[in-house]
Amino acid sequence: MERNGRAANPLPTADLSADPMAGGADPKADDASDPAAEPLGLTEAALEALLFVVERPLGRREIATLTGVDRETVDARVGDLETSLSQRGIRLVTSGDRVELATAPEAGRLIGRYIGADATRLSPAALETLAIVAYRQPVTKGGVERIRGVDSDYTMRVLLHRRLVVELGRAETPGRPYLYGTDFEFLERFGIVSLEDLPPLDAEVAARLVEAVDEGRASDARDDSDDDGPGIAVGPGPALGPA
Amino acid sequence: MVEARSTTVPTVVLGDGRRPEASTQVRLDAFEGPLALLLSLIEARQLDVMTIPLGALAEAYLDALAGLETGRIGSVSGFVAIAGQLILIKSRALLPRRTDPVAVILDEAPDPEAELRARLVLYRAHRDAGLALQAAALERVGLFRREPTAALAAWRAGAVAQPAPPTDPGLLARSLERMLRVVPPPPPPPETLPRTVTIAQHAELIRAALRGADRIVLQDLLAGVRDRIVVVVTFLAMLELMKRREIVVDQAAPWGPIVARRTTSEERAAMGGLAPETPIDESLESFG
Repeated sequence: MERNGRAANPLPTADLSADPMAGGADPKADDASDPAAEPLGLTEAALEALLFVVERPLGRREIATLTGVDRETVDARVGDLETSLSQRGIRLVTSGDRVELATAPEAGRLIGRYIGADATRLSPAALETLAIVAYRQPVTKGGVERIRGVDSDYTMRVLLHRRLVVELGRAETPGRPYLYGTDFEFLERFGIVSLEDLPPLDAEVAARLVEAVDEGRASDARDDSDDDGPGIAVGPGPALGPA
Repeated sequence: MVEARSTTVPTVVLGDGRRPEASTQVRLDAFEGPLALLLSLIEARQLDVMTIPLGALAEAYLDALAGLETGRIGSVSGFVAIAGQLILIKSRALLPRRTDPVAVILDEAPDPEAELRARLVLYRAHRDAGLALQAAALERVGLFRREPTAALAAWRAGAVAQPAPPTDPGLLARSLERMLRVVPPPPPPPETLPRTVTIAQHAELIRAALRGADRIVLQDLLAGVRDRIVVVVTFLAMLELMKRREIVVDQAAPWGPIVARRTTSEERAAMGGLAPETPIDESLESFG
């Protein structure tokens, strides 16, 4: 499967604070910072057990502090667990720095039937706005509006209210506009284990787009600052060239 | 994917007249923009966005724009900007292009048609990605994770304990009654008794003093008295007796001794006074 540039556009660490359920609210999380605690090490099974118990997304830094291992070990065990679970009914879901256990996408219909949950349905305007945020995050509202060509304030507020879009921080551009991205709510509602698994943007279209922009000299000297003027946003989004 | 795409708006219904552009009917969602409208016009004609001369769509776009419900267009300026761009593209297409070097330099600005086409393609890529997301959500319903226990979730959500059931008023009344029986009543506050110093009393004192002596001196009578009320009332009593012609008062010099003596019966007869039995006016109204 072609993946258009997701790896080249990692989430900023600012999204750690985007989820009110993450860190601070759990009294057990405070115990993890006890410097006198004996390092426990981290095995793949221990990581799986930990994620099973916490019932919320857990930051890799928090896991490292709790177990007394370094960050590289945590990354390695997370990778191991992700591989081991790839064919199981439980999957490792990752968003930015945090990971959680959730049901496999192919089991969604069954679980949804059992608990009476229905698929998320959004209006076309909300869908295209969400797609822009998901593929080009972190992105400002101005960046979304440049692609859509229309004011997206209401649509963004609807998505924020449903937590399908979250604030990731502020851009260091004039006006310091908010940067938006997605979080676990988006992944869970749309049955995606990781942003890496987003369906690719149409590669053929993307290739032609780049060709057209090059030929038409339309994209030069455009940046992704938060002005509302029309233009083609070719800033920090995913690479649009043929993969 | 195809099913999901069929649910999208705007929808375009092409007319079957001689000029199909003029009879195009478009339904546009309130939050859809000009790019969505232009792309829907292209797709309704089953044309390729990469190859169609965009200037040819100017008339259809303007017709569709005129037919929209104006109240539902969120940002008219965006629609008008695209309309202007289409008209510019069309006018450039109609005019012959100069090929001399000066024209090439003047023509350095980005080609509006290529720019608009790129915007359309970029928009379409994200629109289709959104539709693919919706299709995935409908297919997979979603991912589910274990939910925190209800109590923990409620605590995280800021829930507080339910208030206790209301107290029985009868219990409260019974408790108060029991307390009243046990606790002795507090002692009554000390009573403040008004002291009354009357002119009549002190007039009688002056009369009694004059019965034992021919003359009395007021200062001597009040010697040792520290109560200002008594001093004042005694002085008023003396004035009252003067008024009733019972006594005659004499003061030789300012601040000197005030000497009083009883009037003789002849003096009273000559000056005319009140009978000694007449009650003294305590209100002092007669002084006015």
